[in-house]
Amino acid sequence: MSHINARLAPVAKARIEPAIAFDAVRLDFGAKRIVDGLSFSVAPGEFACVVGPSGCGKTTLLRLVTGLLAPSQGEVRRLGVPVAGPSRDVAIVFQDYGRALLPWRTATGNIALALEAIGTPRRERAERIAALLDKVGLSGHGDKYPAQLSGGMQQRVQIARCLAQGPRILLMDEPFGALDALTRQVLQDEIAGLVRESGATALFVTHDLDEAIYLGDRVFALEANPGRLAEVIDVGLPRPRDQLQTREHPEFLRLRHVLFNHVQKTH
Amino acid sequence: MSRRHIDLLLSVLPAWLVPLGLLGGIEIAMRITAIQSDGLALPSQVAAALLAAIADGEIFLRTAETIGAIAVGVPIGGILGLLLGVWLGLSPRAAQLASLPVELFRPIPPVAIIPLMMLIYGLGIRMEAAIIAFACFWPMLLLTRDAVLGVEPRLIEVARMLGLSRRKQITKIAFPAAIPRIFTAVRLTLGIALIVAVTTEIAANPIGLGYAIISAGLSLRPEVMYAFLIWLAILGWLLNAGLIALHHRLFGAAYGEVAA
Amino acid sequence: MTDLSLRAGSVLVTLSILLLWQGTTTTGLVQPIFLPSPSSTFVNLWHGLTRGDLLALTLSTMERMIYGWMLASLGGILLGALIGLSPRARYWLTPTLELLRPLPASTLLPVGIALFGLKPGMLLGIIAFGAIWPVLLPTIHGFSAIDPRLREVARTLGIGPFAFAVKFGLPNALPDVIAGMRLSLTACLIITVVGEMITAQEGLGATIIMAARSFRSTDLYAGIILLGVVGAINNTLLGFIERALTPWRTAPS
Repeated sequence: MSHINARLAPVAKARIEPAIAFDAVRLDFGAKRIVDGLSFSVAPGEFACVVGPSGCGKTTLLRLVTGLLAPSQGEVRRLGVPVAGPSRDVAIVFQDYGRALLPWRTATGNIALALEAIGTPRRERAERIAALLDKVGLSGHGDKYPAQLSGGMQQRVQIARCLAQGPRILLMDEPFGALDALTRQVLQDEIAGLVRESGATALFVTHDLDEAIYLGDRVFALEANPGRLAEVIDVGLPRPRDQLQTREHPEFLRLRHVLFNHVQKTH
Repeated sequence: MSRRHIDLLLSVLPAWLVPLGLLGGIEIAMRITAIQSDGLALPSQVAAALLAAIADGEIFLRTAETIGAIAVGVPIGGILGLLLGVWLGLSPRAAQLASLPVELFRPIPPVAIIPLMMLIYGLGIRMEAAIIAFACFWPMLLLTRDAVLGVEPRLIEVARMLGLSRRKQITKIAFPAAIPRIFTAVRLTLGIALIVAVTTEIAANPIGLGYAIISAGLSLRPEVMYAFLIWLAILGWLLNAGLIALHHRLFGAAYGEVAA
Repeated sequence: MTDLSLRAGSVLVTLSILLLWQGTTTTGLVQPIFLPSPSSTFVNLWHGLTRGDLLALTLSTMERMIYGWMLASLGGILLGALIGLSPRARYWLTPTLELLRPLPASTLLPVGIALFGLKPGMLLGIIAFGAIWPVLLPTIHGFSAIDPRLREVARTLGIGPFAFAVKFGLPNALPDVIAGMRLSLTACLIITVVGEMITAQEGLGATIIMAARSFRSTDLYAGIILLGVVGAINNTLLGFIERALTPWRTAPS
């Protein structure tokens, strides 16, 4: 069920350590078993998507990677090291962007928070922030407070803050779920570009099957009660992806069928 | 004692353990250091004074005086404020016209009115009731206005679509929607009334709990002063808790939770 | 009706109230001892401010009130921050503090007088003592109620406890702290005026109670107007502070 992505064929004799590895992970909340027997790995630089019905533990999965939660059994490893707690190497983009931004700081201030945390010297900060604002398309909006920004813009600020950490692993918890369809499409392409540029490993949770196929190198399909890995699907679509062309690609449609059937089974 | 009772007791553990512990500690500390002050009293003395005041009924007399003034003043000022507030809430034009006079007269603190009412009525219940009426008028006016303004405009639209007359819109939709907030306004106003009543008694009026407190303090009987203070705190707490419970009872199911 | 004409209408309403006032006194409906005419009141006010000592008295009251307020705010914020940031302290102390909440600010005046005496300097301390409570509870709440999501953000970024208190706790608490400071300032005004009434120390409180006792109604009304002005200044002051310290709440959307 879990295998290293064949495209990353090892050059040296040394094994390339997966960026994220789940080893027979089980999590119980009191009497309730949230996830069970979760084993898979994500290769460095890979864009992995996770889909599944509600209650399958998609969000829990991310929190196990951040270290905000610890498994009841089994092990979660980041870059070969067992997870002991949050690390600045790991950034997480929350779905409720309104609650994840500091309301009392401007967009600039929010991004600066990450730079302050990683110890970027003061002199360099302004430049880095300007570059990041530019990358997420918010140049000129740096002095606005979150309350003055639209939903999509707020989410961009959060993404910029996460990128400011310089993370090696970028986790995203249904980041576009609360946005309208048009904004969602724009941000999908933006995030794909940003992640590729930074070279980070991405683990992207979504309930939108099309989005998962569109963005991912691989899609992990979970089933619920308890959360278990049901299928792993390789997405062999060419990059860069295009909203019109990729979505009409025959392989895309085939994968849609596969995922759809899986969802039908597990609902 | 069932599990629920034990849980309840444990949940209020800090609430009664800390004060009792503090009082016990103060009692011991004061006895050991044999401190002398006109402003301090042993907690045991305070308790004794409280029991004595209850026994000879003085505490009830004073409470009745304070409550009496409130009972006269709140309806007068409150109802006036309520009526005017509803009017200002329903008619934006009236609210705009009234805005300047309200802004001019609002900042006058009720304490400033004390000497005025003293001048007109002398000392006693009438003077205090008048001050309370003045003090209650403003919060009732403004909070009622806000309550009426805060009625979900969507509901009024629905009423209009249903072809309800303006009068029916008010009685069937606006009023029931605004009632919980108006009730909260009443609760807050009653709290203000108690504060103003006691303040008036401390400052000038020789009746009620406030007077008992200041006269005990000035006549160097601190144990009586603290006893009445504790009684006042209990009274205020009971009043507020009772009104919140009433709010839940009347509006809980249909309207949801109430803000403390 | 346009916005401008309604504002003008509001001015008209005020003027008609004044006219009504003037009319009531000229026709002798109410005795001047209870309701002096607006003209005599304002003349008295003007004389008192420019040639008399009304200005000095007003400033005296305001000074006392503001100093007491600053002391109370400082103490309340520091204490509130310490308690608010520590879940243990909050658990044990907040219920007791809630019990003390219903006590009016003015009731601490007799306690303060009994403890500290009636010496002139003591009134300031008594004011601060009484006004610390309205700012304490909201401050505790402000420092404790931080959105759990923000806490997670802080943990993910590896932000230490001191940086957390300064970067997260303090700004989060500011709106509540300011609300508490507003209540505290109101309490300060009340305690100051009542304190002046009881202790007969120089200020508007003592002035108006003396005026009432000697039936000098124009002096009394002038004093009331000045106290209203002080109240209005307080509101404006707090508005400034709020806009300056919490710009994100008042920024246009």
